[in-house]
Amino acid sequence: MPMYQQGDSRSSEHALQNGEVDPAVSALEARQDEILRKLYELKAAVEGLAKTVTTPDADLDVTVSSSFSSQSSRSIMLEGSTDLDTLLGEDLGALRDIVINANPARPPLTLLVLHSLLSQRYRVLSTVHVHSSVSSVPPQLQSCLGPRHPDSYARHLFQLGFTLIWKDVPKLEMKFSVHNMCPIEGEASVARFLFKLLAPYPSDPAAATLVDSWVDTAFFQLAEGSSKERAAVLRALNSALGRSPWLSGPEFSLADVACYCCVLQSCAASSAPANVQRWMKSCENLGHFSSTKQLLQ
Amino acid sequence: MALNLTINANNPPLGALLAAEHVKSSVQVSVEEGKDNRLHISDSIQFSDANSISRYLARVAPALGLYGSNLMEQTEVDHWLEFSARRLCDQPSLTAVLGELDKALSLRTFLVGHAITLADLSVWAALKDHSDWLSQGKSFPHVSRWFSFLTSQVPFSSVGNKYASKKA
Repeated sequence: MPMYQQGDSRSSEHALQNGEVDPAVSALEARQDEILRKLYELKAAVEGLAKTVTTPDADLDVTVSSSFSSQSSRSIMLEGSTDLDTLLGEDLGALRDIVINANPARPPLTLLVLHSLLSQRYRVLSTVHVHSSVSSVPPQLQSCLGPRHPDSYARHLFQLGFTLIWKDVPKLEMKFSVHNMCPIEGEASVARFLFKLLAPYPSDPAAATLVDSWVDTAFFQLAEGSSKERAAVLRALNSALGRSPWLSGPEFSLADVACYCCVLQSCAASSAPANVQRWMKSCENLGHFSSTKQLLQ
Repeated sequence: MALNLTINANNPPLGALLAAEHVKSSVQVSVEEGKDNRLHISDSIQFSDANSISRYLARVAPALGLYGSNLMEQTEVDHWLEFSARRLCDQPSLTAVLGELDKALSLRTFLVGHAITLADLSVWAALKDHSDWLSQGKSFPHVSRWFSFLTSQVPFSSVGNKYASKKA
């Protein structure tokens, strides 16, 4: 027996054999419990802090935010689940604000259409400002993002900020996440960014590149090109739209938004060939393009 | 899958050739000389402008990350693709544009993220076509540093030696 007892004190496996616990083991267990308890306390403290960071006005009326969730509606025409946290990285508490500087001499029609689509998908806080570099901006441009939201004082209730500044810039520019992104120049690149917040590009490399190629054609040949180039693009549009209902195939895409707006802006709509006319009607039926026509009047 | 890239021998698209050189480990791209630039994918799909060719090649080899690793980097790549096509090509004076580029590169090794992307390829290619900017390189230290860093690497030096000299 004494020999067995010696064995007991060395290995904890045997310690419980006769209901006795080695004091050294129980001391260790007590220490482990204490450490775990401290870790749980720390975890709770960190979670509490995280909550105050992500909701800057956590003490604000809770009923306001709950009334929001009920009115969230899904976009009909753009399927595919997109989550802002996976697309843009985790939300660190501040509103993700997309700031766009645009020249009132050339209103960015595509971005207004995309803004309308974004507002259907996300809770968007939209604001329009006039920079001191431009003297006067027509009223329809100042109200182009719709009426001011009644809850606009509470920025934390929104998922995205869309701030349009009418400014005397040679080229449209977007500033977003300025710590790690350079300012983005050109309506085409900004439109690509906004569209990817709504729906992913086609996974097939050729189909995705076709969309991008139409976007480039719209902005550089339709909107800025000569009348000869414009006529060539209209012919290309017509033959593509003879093969499929939308420019990049069976699905509505950024190619349609960009080409529609640029055809409209280049005043080529009335002289457009038959397939293009039919496709423009289909775009208008989607209901997000009405603001573009008002702005051009 | 084998792709066929036809290039205009008198004015080779360096950016697209660099992209083809980068993706050759994952996709087979054969390069032929001809009248126009064209990437033949299938009988119904062909791309003829340099940016579309580059975009397609970057997308068929996603593991290389040439189009950036997330939505924000993709958008920056799009910005530089347009910058090189619209602001750097066919510009008589580069001073203002180089100033902007210098500012963008002041805190960066590569134009976008922490690795080579289409942005580096297309801007490098556009500058390579404008060899006269090197005479005022001293005023743009960050562009010069970035340009010579890329020039010293293999795909850039080989494509540069093989094609840039053909432009006379």
